[in-house]
Amino acid sequence: MNAAGVDLQGTTASIDADAWPKGLNRELRRLAEEEGVTEFVIENPRSRHNLAVGQTADVTIRFRGSVGNYCGGLNSGATIHVERNVGWAAGEAMARGKIVVEGNANMATGASMRGGTIHIKGSAAARCGVSLKGGTLIVEGDVGYLSAFMTHAGDLIVCGSTGAAFADSLWQGNVWVAGEIRSLGTDAVVIEASDDDQERVHGLLRENGVDGTFTFRKVVSGQKLWYFNNRNPDAWLKI
Amino acid sequence: MDETSHPTPGYDTGRSHIWTAETIRAIHSKAELGRYQIRGFSTFQKLPTLDDLVFLPAVMTRLPLEGYREHCETKTWIGGGRPDLVSEPLELAFPVYLTSMSFGALGTNAKRALGMGFSRAGLATCTGEGGMLPEEREASDRLIYQMTPSRYGLDLEHLRMADAIEIVLGQGAKPGTGGMLLGMKVSEKVAQMRTLPVGVDQRSAARHPDFLGGDDLAVKIEELREATDYRVPIILKLAACRVEQDVKIAAKTGCDAIVVDGTEGSTAASPEFQLDHTGVPTLTAIPAARRALEDIGMYGKITLIASGGIRSGVDAAKALALGADCVAIGTAALMAAGCNSPVSVGGVDATEGYAALGTSAGACHHCHTGRCPVGVTTQDPELEARLDPELGAERVHNFLTSMYYEMTILAKSCGKGNIHNLEPEDLRALSLEASAFTGVPLAGVDWVVGPGTFGG
Repeated sequence: MNAAGVDLQGTTASIDADAWPKGLNRELRRLAEEEGVTEFVIENPRSRHNLAVGQTADVTIRFRGSVGNYCGGLNSGATIHVERNVGWAAGEAMARGKIVVEGNANMATGASMRGGTIHIKGSAAARCGVSLKGGTLIVEGDVGYLSAFMTHAGDLIVCGSTGAAFADSLWQGNVWVAGEIRSLGTDAVVIEASDDDQERVHGLLRENGVDGTFTFRKVVSGQKLWYFNNRNPDAWLKI
Repeated sequence: MDETSHPTPGYDTGRSHIWTAETIRAIHSKAELGRYQIRGFSTFQKLPTLDDLVFLPAVMTRLPLEGYREHCETKTWIGGGRPDLVSEPLELAFPVYLTSMSFGALGTNAKRALGMGFSRAGLATCTGEGGMLPEEREASDRLIYQMTPSRYGLDLEHLRMADAIEIVLGQGAKPGTGGMLLGMKVSEKVAQMRTLPVGVDQRSAARHPDFLGGDDLAVKIEELREATDYRVPIILKLAACRVEQDVKIAAKTGCDAIVVDGTEGSTAASPEFQLDHTGVPTLTAIPAARRALEDIGMYGKITLIASGGIRSGVDAAKALALGADCVAIGTAALMAAGCNSPVSVGGVDATEGYAALGTSAGACHHCHTGRCPVGVTTQDPELEARLDPELGAERVHNFLTSMYYEMTILAKSCGKGNIHNLEPEDLRALSLEASAFTGVPLAGVDWVVGPGTFGG
């Protein structure tokens, strides 16, 4: 039985998003879990917010156009292709799965993501990789200001250049830049990447179909923000 | 600053009201440390309190209900006014729940004791910012999952296991800043749950990573509803600052409940100057929040929750009379589990432990050190063992039961068959400032100081 706007052919479902002003995410989960659908093609995404949020099945979801904010938010398994651009916070808090964006990404791409891969073929706006906690986030173009803000873990790979205040207050994590760094944020330090590092990062890129050769620099924490000035435990009692 | 609330051993009290012993000692320690002071607990400022309001029980104008016999309805729903958006509002046996306190700030035994104690009373607890501890999910029948700007350990599965979601836009103890956990408490387990290096002095983000203002928060809230199938309520927790404006913007985001957390709210660690000098008292925040919701026609639709300095069922009943639908407590619940007691809830004498911190039972505000001598706010296994979770749960449950009786007996004495029928008219103010802040008329003269809101 096909719901309105759903064309089910074997394990592939073509869905007209216009027929689902509400409940599309739940329908995607239902089709995957109950009908065994593994491939979704979503027509007319029309830059709508909150598409493919909270998906848990190992399925492929292709958006035939641009999507709005939080596309693939909290993703825990799906592989999501966006044929044009994404809005804010694509793949926020993602744990597993993959998001590939053919165009550009607006701000906060991969905010607090913990696992999986995000691959932006164009550029990403401000705060890309903010609070990153794991996984791999690849941007083939440039990233905007305050990208890698308070990064904890994972790999952020920027093949292009960065905006201002890059990697501000980062805790840890692997932050790689091939192009120019407009300015570094508080406590961010640039170091040369070792040959092993270069090889590993290029390996991650090749896994995702990015073939170029780059010279990456690594940005690490100066660890000045890790601790308060006075580390003597008794100092905390003087109050 | 009031030196009587903050002993200054070795210093005499001089004649100056400006350069008090307390002030002088603070300068000496800053000069030594090269930083501001950090501590736990709550503000040490003298503030207007709910003690400046009294109830007017029924005499000739109305009939009281029998305090020990007749029933007073106390059932409370968070998100109950939004059936189209929330299919499972959070039901509480009476209008109290445990405010957000993280695993990290508290130890596992404290989390378990609180979870079990609140569950036995039919009430909810909140994870706080450190992620969802499995022991807490198991102990708590009704668990609110908190999302702070730092999003430590945020997980879809945990979101779906939660009975409500709370998004934090500030806490009363330190508005405008993120969470803080000093290195002494960032144990291996805490660090792993937060994806942090072990032992760092964690200062969390103040801004959320993926929204900026009210308009985009509305989209974020829809995302969370999509992820949880429009099942659970979404609460916004606000530090009480520009309450009227903040609450109106919060209401516009489409949330189901709003917490106004007054400056009395406690913390496990905060810069002292923020504790003492930022935000407004709970007493002033509730009428402002109520006015804001009334102005936009959302009072009674969005659940209004008050927190910060609620010490008893009496305080809770006064908060309800002023306009809150529910209160959240934190410090009072920790005290029920042994905080600031000479003996831990587990029978261990804590005198020496307090002395090692330079303090004593009743005066301790050293949660920030992680050396809690009664095993509540610590990650140290030896100290934690001083709190018996079973006994702690019993004490917490007992305390909540006392709150229930205080609230219902007061309501019944005012002639209310439902706790939520308490109203500003049931109160009178004992001070000019309490009247001015709340719009409650002054006792005896029935005159409202200032612009007023209610009666007068």
